[in-house]
Amino acid sequence: MIGRDRSDKRPARRVDLGLTPVDRGPTPVDLGLTPAGEELDMSRRNLLRGMGIAGIAAAGGALGLIAYRDEAQAATVEGASGQEHQWCRVVDLRACKGERKCVSACQKRHGLPPEQTWMRTLSWHDESGKEFFMPVMCQMCQNPPCLDVCPVSATIKTDQGVILVDQDKCLGSRACMAACPYEARYFNWNEPAPTNRMPAPSPNTPQFPANQIGTVGKCVLCADLMPYSNQLPSCVEACPRGAHFIGDLVTDVAVNGKSTVRLSTFLREGNAVRFKEELGTNPRCYYIPGNGQPVGGPLVGVK
Amino acid sequence: MSSVLESTMVANEQPDVVEAAMRPFRKASKKFWLAIALLTVLVVIGIAAWIYQLRQGMGVAGYTDRSFWAIYIADVVAIIGVSYGGAVVSAILLLTGASWRAPLVRLSEGMALVTVIVGAAFIIPHLGRPDRLLGMVTSANVASPVFWDMIAIGTYAFATFVFFLLPLVPDTATLLGSHPDELGRGRRFLFRFVSRGWVGTTHQRQVLHSAMIIVAIVIIPLAVSVHSVLAWAFALVSRPGWHESIWAPYFVIAALYSGVALVILVTAGFRRGYHLEAFITKKHFVRLGYIMVALGAVYVYLTFADLLPSAYVGESGPTQIINGMLVGGVAVWFWLFLVAGTILPIVLIALPWTRQISGIVIASILVVIAMWIKRLIMVIETSGYDRLTNSFGELFRFTWVSVAVTLGGIAAIPLLLMLLFRLVPLLSIAEVQEATEKTDEPVAEPSSPGKASHGHAAGAAGAVILLLVTIGVIGVAKAQPAYAAPNPAVPTAVATQATVAVTAVEKGPENTLTATVTLAGKPVEGALVNFYESTTMFAPGNNLVPLGAVETDVTGIAKVTYVAAVTGPRTISATYFPTVLGDPVTGTANLDVTEAVSQYVPTPPRALAEAGKTLVFGLFGLVIIVFIILIAQVVRVRRACRPVANGSFEQAPTT
Repeated sequence: MIGRDRSDKRPARRVDLGLTPVDRGPTPVDLGLTPAGEELDMSRRNLLRGMGIAGIAAAGGALGLIAYRDEAQAATVEGASGQEHQWCRVVDLRACKGERKCVSACQKRHGLPPEQTWMRTLSWHDESGKEFFMPVMCQMCQNPPCLDVCPVSATIKTDQGVILVDQDKCLGSRACMAACPYEARYFNWNEPAPTNRMPAPSPNTPQFPANQIGTVGKCVLCADLMPYSNQLPSCVEACPRGAHFIGDLVTDVAVNGKSTVRLSTFLREGNAVRFKEELGTNPRCYYIPGNGQPVGGPLVGVK
Repeated sequence: MSSVLESTMVANEQPDVVEAAMRPFRKASKKFWLAIALLTVLVVIGIAAWIYQLRQGMGVAGYTDRSFWAIYIADVVAIIGVSYGGAVVSAILLLTGASWRAPLVRLSEGMALVTVIVGAAFIIPHLGRPDRLLGMVTSANVASPVFWDMIAIGTYAFATFVFFLLPLVPDTATLLGSHPDELGRGRRFLFRFVSRGWVGTTHQRQVLHSAMIIVAIVIIPLAVSVHSVLAWAFALVSRPGWHESIWAPYFVIAALYSGVALVILVTAGFRRGYHLEAFITKKHFVRLGYIMVALGAVYVYLTFADLLPSAYVGESGPTQIINGMLVGGVAVWFWLFLVAGTILPIVLIALPWTRQISGIVIASILVVIAMWIKRLIMVIETSGYDRLTNSFGELFRFTWVSVAVTLGGIAAIPLLLMLLFRLVPLLSIAEVQEATEKTDEPVAEPSSPGKASHGHAAGAAGAVILLLVTIGVIGVAKAQPAYAAPNPAVPTAVATQATVAVTAVEKGPENTLTATVTLAGKPVEGALVNFYESTTMFAPGNNLVPLGAVETDVTGIAKVTYVAAVTGPRTISATYFPTVLGDPVTGTANLDVTEAVSQYVPTPPRALAEAGKTLVFGLFGLVIIVFIILIAQVVRVRRACRPVANGSFEQAPTT
């Protein structure tokens, strides 16, 4: 058996991910059965004798099925549309002390093996030996390189800006792992442990991924939690220092579980930057630079 | 055996090529079956290892997140790569009219066909879920280089098949005529099917020759496209070491270099096995050896050109990749490749006393192995480089599974070739006869009248493919952070007891919030009032979003103007801390916003997104044109073979 597939009990509640390509090609092209030149001036029956007919038919037929995966693939989560929410992340590095509680909460929440961390906390030392920390997870790029290179369109972008993996479709080519500049993707090289999913019972959807052998997994922004309950992403809830924020660009609000900020103000005043801006991935994860300074602003971060 | 003797044999004694071509169809030796059995065992072990890998997961093949691409993709690149060598020996030499290619073409074309199939098959163990392979068609993503790998390999494999098939038409007819009884039933049926109607008239020969020229013209850009797209599967990601503009031509040259080496090996093997010394002489090996050495020199040059710019600039990622090659984790393999895979073969072929068949064969073995090693280190080193920590993780390690699968695939190549050439003649009888005739007396060459025009059309198609493929690159996006908004806030306030009265008025998109702070009926001046609006985002109850802090004026009034992001009712509150540690005093008001302006700006489309989409449709059109051209050649030859009443031959449609 190749991977014990859990897709068999997909309930009717499965959200419409808009997997039908938005941008279908035009009607399948003329298969060239009509003469294309003097050389082809022959009857249809003759041509049918030509052995490549199947090849052409396949090529022509494929045109009707393909999608150019550059555009946002509409994925509607229970009626919420892209006009209502555009999720993003903010990490306030001023507050991060490298306790890695976000990492362990994420591991626990998604039932991940130790080597598969959807979130990592990097650390560096400066000349004086002082340590700097930076949690990195899927940056939810709006020009996601991983989405472009997936040969089977298994990586999807919801119209609320969340990048997800359809693990029932994933071919396991790992092209996305090669493409991701943030090393945010992990592969289930062996049979993964049963996924600890909430709220149970939950369907196996990109929002509620049940890790399958031979497929790729990554941070889902706990997108499964947001539409159905008011729980925050596990890393946001776990951080005792309020470094992690989940935000919505449309309503201009971000929270870290302790306080609420006006997102646009918070980003501007904190001189927010994005990771590897130069790659043009247009990530939806903002970093407020800093390293354990007292946090500015009256209601921001931890007192 | 001296080469002088052999070439005189070709010229004067005219060995019977038909007799030689029949050799593989006769009873095979024990050694032959022993080799078949041994290779079959290797293939079966490989398949068994792959099934084990399917059950256990790719972890057993040594794959980890820091070697997500490794041995199997290197096998794909290396084995499809050698296929190109078969195509080049045949196609380029055909187009340049090099008649010495005659005894080599069938072997090299067969090698091209077998290796492209085996190479493409290595994609299957590379995939985590090969059971979903059909998704490449049913939910294809045409922006993916992997999708175009499939298209390019499929088109090239079809062209290789046509290129292999067409010259079989006269050869099978010849054998059916000369040895009808020795062929056996299966081969007789196959040969009749292939050669139906071929009688060898001038017209038929002209049509076949012209068709072969066109297929040869088409197959060269196709092979270039296969290796370019394989390279782009790597180069279209921003990883150091892979994201190199030179990679497409680099792969093409690597393919040619290793491919010519394998042509030499296959030729040497069958020459020895079926005693074809009379047809394939030292001259052939030397010429192939020269081609190989020239390509090897180009490959060394490209390797240098690939490494120098990154090494010179010193950017962290590429520098570490190069450092890893020169002195780091894969240095042993890299220097082994450089010395054993390029310098040694060049020396072996350059020196007259090693420029013997044995020397050239040894050089070819070195090249084939070293080029596989080079592909492997190109893959595993960059894959092992963590772009977040800027350091190498643990590089790929061989396991018995991945080694067994790879060996099984490699064993499949000679196995399939040996079986293939028990099925079809291993020498191109027509071409060898033609070449022999030409050396004796210059006969009118059946150069096709349609050659120029067809060649032009196909050449133009190839040029357009290359041009379009070159243009197609992914766009760069503009960043657009979602900043903007109101005032900063400075804390601290002083007072004793107070009340706060709030009003909120909407005027257009702007909402004016006014808080009046009074203490015992008198306005408080200089009180810092924090304004909030409520939101239901992220919380079951109301969350308060700060809108700014303003000090009251002489009249005790603090005013804030803000633009709401969303419409709808909300509670506005103004909070005032009479003392630093005391309880806050809060006043609230309801505000129903009807006009809101969100700070959110949708991501602009990427700069070259439209060009990419246009390119896709252009490419699909080209692929279809290529298929039409290839099928048309098969149909032409078939039509020329159609028997016509009253003995006259049907005229080809005039162009």
